[in-house]
Parts: sequence; structure tokens; C-alpha cells
Amino acid sequence: MATLVGRVPRPAALPAIRALSARGARLGRPALWLVIVLLILAPSACFLVLAFSPRLFSQGSQWFTLTFFRQVLTGTTAVALLNSVWVSLAAAAIGVVVGFPIAWLTHRTDLPARRLVAGAMWFVLLLPSWLPAIGWQRLVQPDGVMYRVGLDWPWVTHLVMGPFGVVLLLGLRAVPFSYLAVSAALTGLGQEFEDAARVHGAGRLGALRLVAPILAPAITSSIAIGFAESVSDFGVASTLAYASHFPLATYQLYEYIGGFPPNFPGAAAIGWLLVASVAVPLAIQARALRGRSYAVLSGRTRPVVRRQLTRPAKAAALGFVGLFYTAALGVPGFGAVSSSLLADFGASLKLTFTNYDQVFRSSGLAGPLERSLVYGAITASLTVVGGFVFAKMLAGARSASTRMLDFLLLAAVALPSVVFAAGYIFAYNLPALSAVGINLYQTVTLLVIGYVASSLPTNARVLVGAVSQVQRSLHEAARAHGSGSLRAWFRAVFPVLSKPLTMAWLLTFCGILLELPISSLLYAPGSPPLSVAIQDNLGNYHFGTGMAQAVVAVGFALVAVAVVLGGYRLLAPKGWRRLGGWTRG
Amino acid sequence: MGERITVENVGKVYGSGSRALDDVSLEIDPGVVLVLLGPSGSGKTTLLRSLAGIERISEGRLSIGSTVVADGRVHVPPERRDLSMVFQDYALWPHLTARDNVAFALKRRGLPAAERQVKALAMLDRVGLGRLGGRYPSELSGGEQQRVALARALVADTGLVLCDEPLSNLDADLRERMRIEISSLVRQAEATTVYITHDQAEAFALADRVGVLERGRLVQFGTPEEIYAAPASPFVARFTGLAGELAVRVRVRPAGGGLLEVEAATRSAVRPVAARPGAELTDGDDALLCIRPTAVRLSATDADDHHLVGTVADVAFRGRGYEHAVVLDEGTQISGIFSDVRIERGRSVGLRLEAPGCLVFSGSAAGMVPTAAADPPGPLAPPVAERPKLLSAS
Repeated sequence: MATLVGRVPRPAALPAIRALSARGARLGRPALWLVIVLLILAPSACFLVLAFSPRLFSQGSQWFTLTFFRQVLTGTTAVALLNSVWVSLAAAAIGVVVGFPIAWLTHRTDLPARRLVAGAMWFVLLLPSWLPAIGWQRLVQPDGVMYRVGLDWPWVTHLVMGPFGVVLLLGLRAVPFSYLAVSAALTGLGQEFEDAARVHGAGRLGALRLVAPILAPAITSSIAIGFAESVSDFGVASTLAYASHFPLATYQLYEYIGGFPPNFPGAAAIGWLLVASVAVPLAIQARALRGRSYAVLSGRTRPVVRRQLTRPAKAAALGFVGLFYTAALGVPGFGAVSSSLLADFGASLKLTFTNYDQVFRSSGLAGPLERSLVYGAITASLTVVGGFVFAKMLAGARSASTRMLDFLLLAAVALPSVVFAAGYIFAYNLPALSAVGINLYQTVTLLVIGYVASSLPTNARVLVGAVSQVQRSLHEAARAHGSGSLRAWFRAVFPVLSKPLTMAWLLTFCGILLELPISSLLYAPGSPPLSVAIQDNLGNYHFGTGMAQAVVAVGFALVAVAVVLGGYRLLAPKGWRRLGGWTRG
Repeated sequence: MGERITVENVGKVYGSGSRALDDVSLEIDPGVVLVLLGPSGSGKTTLLRSLAGIERISEGRLSIGSTVVADGRVHVPPERRDLSMVFQDYALWPHLTARDNVAFALKRRGLPAAERQVKALAMLDRVGLGRLGGRYPSELSGGEQQRVALARALVADTGLVLCDEPLSNLDADLRERMRIEISSLVRQAEATTVYITHDQAEAFALADRVGVLERGRLVQFGTPEEIYAAPASPFVARFTGLAGELAVRVRVRPAGGGLLEVEAATRSAVRPVAARPGAELTDGDDALLCIRPTAVRLSATDADDHHLVGTVADVAFRGRGYEHAVVLDEGTQISGIFSDVRIERGRSVGLRLEAPGCLVFSGSAAGMVPTAAADPPGPLAPPVAERPKLLSAS
């Protein structure tokens, strides 16, 4: 009884705390919307509006014009746009044609090493597209590794350094998206659907024919995502395609901004066309699926029976999978490592560690690596916190505001990075911002803000699955048993989310470490991040040094993954490690 | 018209070496509804899937009608066995409408597409879903999906219908309504039906014949009444509903009418109990008394007709009356005791045991669970899905 009396004052203090936290919640939501508007919406909107109304921001004399659309739909830019569309269609097709069989082989057959095949697919997904592109490029360029080892095959050079190479590289990049989409569908497609077909009279082929359309949404998604990823890609456009004189739209936009004087309205017109080419397939896909949910998951779906492949079938399947990984990782990896071990000039084949020596000894070469590591860590930390807050809002009760947030974050994910970065360049260079004391243009701060703003929507979408699975009762139970709100969150909710949060941090860190489009457009003069420094070295014919930097960067990314995952395994309490998987949700 | 099903010495060993079926033999007459009853892992699903042709048997022979569909050399694929099946998750193809799902099962009959659609719609009408034929499975409720699955199984008029726990995903009310629908529809169709469940109340309500499986072996086969009245083992008795179990010793003097007298090894015992022998027993044998809920009556402690005394541990209102749980001296619990009147917790009561529902098994057969106290309801009880439901006492 005495104890109870002793605790009496505490409830009396609660209303004040509640009022404060309610006020915080009331202020927090508008503040989050302000962040979205300032960091994501306003810069892109200011930039894109220039295509119609250059005078609005003193970029021309017209209040309304379509001149810039006409301008970009003629000459080289029109060719680049057309190239982007057909190359992306072809890449999406390659993505499905290669990704679907690999997903089927790993999920429905007894293919040897299928876990390795599935794991390596993540590596292909996370590798920025410019890295395999420069790997291939350095292998087959006229002074590349192929010629230095005595293989005088100009036809290979012409093949890779042209439309075929661009389609191949973008297609290989689209494969993981198809693989993941089809894998998810196959995982939910229990054995019963085939069994039911067989029991009700369909033969083996008939059962397959019946079940195949259930995968149609996954295939449609694969094509849409493959196309959207390819058309908004900047990595291949600025490396292999540029070196092959094969113009693509994203690089044209970059040139419009980088030219003197910069043509922002023209770049904005390209931006609109890029946004449309990403949005249209995604919208068509969403519309096609509306009202025809093929959701087939249930708690008691029967595990599938893996098909036993015959020995020749196994060999053929392994050959097919091996061919994909050779093209996606093996060849570019070999190209990158071998050219990093060769001197920049001459035709000799003498292997040397001079390039690596320079990377580690010269502060000018090590600086970008250090910079990108720091930027990556800062961005990942800020983004995980912000992404969690957004994910929590999305996972809460559905309202007009959460639906709007959902739409905006999805739109931001679909916004090509190069358009996003162009918006930042333009918006933060406006005299109006300078007049109010915001001078962020060409600063590291703006670069990091750009990184955070571009990673935030993806992170929120990655985390929303996990956050929405955390039942409110976990937090409430901790509160009911005596913990304050914050302590209850850290004790009861954080352990459950620790794996997805760690994974989101890692994905962002690795992404920023090797990020190219935003880095190229927003880096502060004199402080280039890693990807820009590598591009500069390659552009200045310091191929060996550039490739050594690239190899070291990938090495650092792998070390970071090992350190973070290993650290989690060693340091996280046993109970945390037993919860959930490493993947989202 | 239903087919005769013959299962002869069937065994199934999975690749991992685990044996799912062990020397199972049974024969099902045409048009009979057979319910295979058993806990998880007893092999009932494997037997059903072997009949369907989805699993290959390792030993023995399966025949549908006069055709051998599986033995050491033959394995007729599912599509050529002319049977149909209701799956546990219904397995409705999500990209086909309800009507198309049902019509698919008619393809094997070689009917023109238009006729298939008409028949499918008529079948959907029979299950009360004629208006919803154009909907996709995701647009139907659980019960509606279940009915589509049933319509698909019945539309082609096959000689054998297999049902894989089709009611397990439904709530209690819908479950009972669907059980009645299934029962009447399969009987109207005159198809031989094999239905599996782990719920003995559902099994007894639906079956013409019940087969009880335990660890891959068929341990009893008979009518529901035979199995309830004369379970072959303590396992079958437990799985078909017990109020409790007591360790007993067989007394010299038989009670007459084929009954034995047994003396319970508990301080709560007041007088010997007459019980039906479930095995060969001789004087002085240690044995196990299995008590059906229907065999226990509450009485006052000062009356002279009770066999045991105990204390009311719990009382639950069941609409038609009250179910009591009574704890004996050393903690053994007898539960599911029905009475029209409520006896409050903590009251001492007498328990009168009636011979037809008291079954005595030899000590060796009873070895698995020495007393009912080992399987009390409450936190220590096994998961609900594993635990047989007690039959209503009334």
C-alpha cells in the first residue's frame, strides 16, 4: 500500500508529458511534410517547370512555351531519347528472358549451388551500373586488356562499344529485378495449384499452362521495372554509351546542364520525357493489375516439390546461369582487376601494383575514397532514421495524408536520379535562396542533403514492410509493464526492427559509396567523391589508377558489409538475432 | 456412381527416410464417406495424396474400382485417375473466375466450352453461388471460396472425391454449415468420398466409416459408433474424447455382463468401478481406465452411488447446462462432466461412473499416459490442433 501511495505523484505528471508529446506529434507531421516539400518536391518542381515557363525563374523570356520540347525532340537529343526507349525495351526483355529461368531454376528445381546463385543476384543488383560498364569497356577498348594480351579482335570492340554492348549491360542490370519479382511470385505459388490442375484432369503440360498466367503480374512488373531502371540509368549512359558515341537521354540532360551556358529549360524538357517514360509503364502496370489481385499467399501454402533435373539438364542449367554471371560479374570483374594491374600507357602486358600503390600513397587519390566513406556513413545514418519515421507514418492508419505520402514517395523512387540532381543544382542556385542566407550551392552539405533526399524514399519503402508487421501491442505491453514511451520503444520495438534497420543502413551506405549521377552533378569543387574521381581518372586516360580505385572501392564495400553483418552477429543479443530474416519485412 | 477403393498393405517412405505410411489396408464400398482421423503427422494427408496420385507409394497396392492405380510398378498420374479433390487451401486458380475454376474440371469430359460453362454455372447454383460466377477468388470470402472448391470437385461427377481438411480454415459457425453442405452434396452425388480431419467431432458427424491413423498405421477402422463405443487402444480412446484416465488394478471378481471390476489407485476412490475390457486382462493386472465424458455423473458426497470423490476445480456454462472439471485427491482431473445444475468451484462432489463409457486397457497398452493428470487442459496441454476435442456429454 505504501508503495502505491509513493507512486501517486507520477500520474499527476502524466498529463503534462502527454500534452507535450501531443504537441510534438502535432508539430512533427507538418515538419515532416516541410522536409518532403523542401528536399524532394520543391527542387524537382522548380526545375521541371522551366520546360514550360522559363521566365518564372529568369531562364528565358516566355511565361509559357513548348519550344524546349520541340528543341529536344530534334537532332541528337531526339536520337538519344529514341535510343533510350528502344534500348530500354530490349534491356527489359533480356531481364525477363534471363531472370525468369534463373528464378524458376533456383526455386523449382534441384539446381546445384542454388543458394549461391540467389545470393550472387543481390551482388549484381547492388553493383552500380557504371562499374560493370567500365569493366567491360577497359577490357575491349582499343588499348584495353584484350589487345594487350594479343587478341586483336576489333569486331569485339565494335560489338561491345555500341548499341549491342549498351543493351547487354542494361539488360544484365535488369535481370535481378526480374529474378526478384518472379522469385516472390514463385514463393507464393504453392504446389497445390499444379496438384489441383493434375487432379482435375490436366496433364503435366496442361497444369503448367494453367499455372503460368498466375505469374503474369510478376512478368509485367519485371518488364515495367526493367524498362524504368534502364531508361533512367546514368551509369552506362555516362561510361560505355558515351565512349561508344551512342547517346542516351540521361547523359544528354547532363550535357545540357554542364554546357556553357547551361540550358536548364532544355534539360527540364528532357527531364519531363524521362519522368514520363518511367511513369507510363509503371502506371500501365498498376492499372493492368487493379482489381485482379493474384494474391495467392496463405499461411498454409504447401511447399513445392523441386523437380529433379537430369544430369544433362543440370549441366545445361548451370551453363546458362554461369553464362549470366560471367557476363554480369566475371568479365567486368576481370576487366577491372586486370586493367588496374597494368600501366596506363603502352602496349605491354607487364603486371604492376603501381596503381594500387598510388591510390593508397597519394592523398589526392585516397581522399575521394575517405570522403565517400564518410558521406556514405552520414547519409545512411540520417536516412535510416528518416526512413523509419516515414515508414511508421505509412504503416499507420490510412488517411488522405498517408495516401499522399505513399504516392509522393513512390513517385520520388521513380524519379530518375539525374533529374533529381538537376533540380537541386537549379533550385539551390536561385538568387532568392542566397537572398535569405541559404548558400548551399556547390557545397558538401548540399551533396549530402541530395544523397539523403534521394535515398529517403527508397529507405522508407524498404522499411515499411518490416514496420507494418510490428504490432502496436509490443510497445503497449512494454508501457503497461512500466516502461516510459522511449524506453518501451528501445526495449520492445527496436530489437524487432534491428535487422531491417541494419540492412537498410548497409544498403544505403554501399549505394552512396559508389553513387554516380547525384555525385557528378552536385559535388563540391575540389572535393570529388569516389565515383567522380574514378570517372575523372578514366577521362584523363589514367585508366589503371581509376580502375584500381574502383577495385578498392568495391573491396571496401564488401569489407563494410562483412564488418556490419559480422558486428551484428557478434554484438547483438541472441534474442535479436533470432528474430526475422535479413530481407525486408 | 461411386467407385470401390482398395488399399492393400500400402507404405510410403519419403526421401529423407521418414516413414509416413506403414502397411495400411482398408476397403471402401462405393458411395461411402470415409473419414480418416488422426493427429498431425499420422499419415492421413499422405494416404489421401497417394490416392490422388500426387504422392507415389513405396509399397503395396491402390485400386480405384477394378483398376490398379499404384503398386510397385504402376503409377497412374492424377489426371488419369478420374477423381476430384477439395484442397485444404482450396487451390482455386486466382487468375480464373469462379465459373472458369469449376468449368476447368469438366474439360476431361470432352464437353464443348459453352456446355462446360452452363454446367459450371448450374453447379455453382447448387452451392448457392450462381450470382458470383464472374468473380475472381480474391473477391470471394473464405466460405465462398470453399464452396467454389466443392463445386469444382463435384461438377465432373467423378467416382471418387477427396477432401483434404477443407474446413480447417473456416470459423466455427461457417465450419458447421459447410460440414452439413458437404455431407449432403457428396451423398447426393453418390460419390465415394475420402475426407481427412484431425477433429473427431467433425469426423463422427460426417462419416459412414472412420479410419484412425497413428504414426502411419491404421489402428482402427469402423463405424463412428463402433469406434466411440469400443476404441481399440487408449490412443483411439483419447483421440475420440475422454473425460479423464485413472490408473487401476483389476479385481478378482468380474462384474458380469462381460464387464470387469477395477479398483482405482487413488485415495479418492470410494468403491470399485465396473468397466468394459479393451484388452485381455487377468486378476491383479495393472491397467488404465479411460472414462468417456458421457459416463460421468455428478452426485452428492453423502449419496451411496458414487465411485470417486473430488473437488470442483472449474465450471463452464455451455448453454444447455454446465461442464465441470473435478480434481481428485492426488491431482488427477476429470473434466467435461455435464450437469443441468451449476456446482460452484471448491465444492466436494461425488462422481458416478457408468460402465458403458468406462474402458479398461492393459498397463502396457496404456504406457503412454499413466493418468489423466498428464494431459490436463490449461497451459500444459498440447496445442489445440493436436488435442482431441471432448464430445459433448449430452
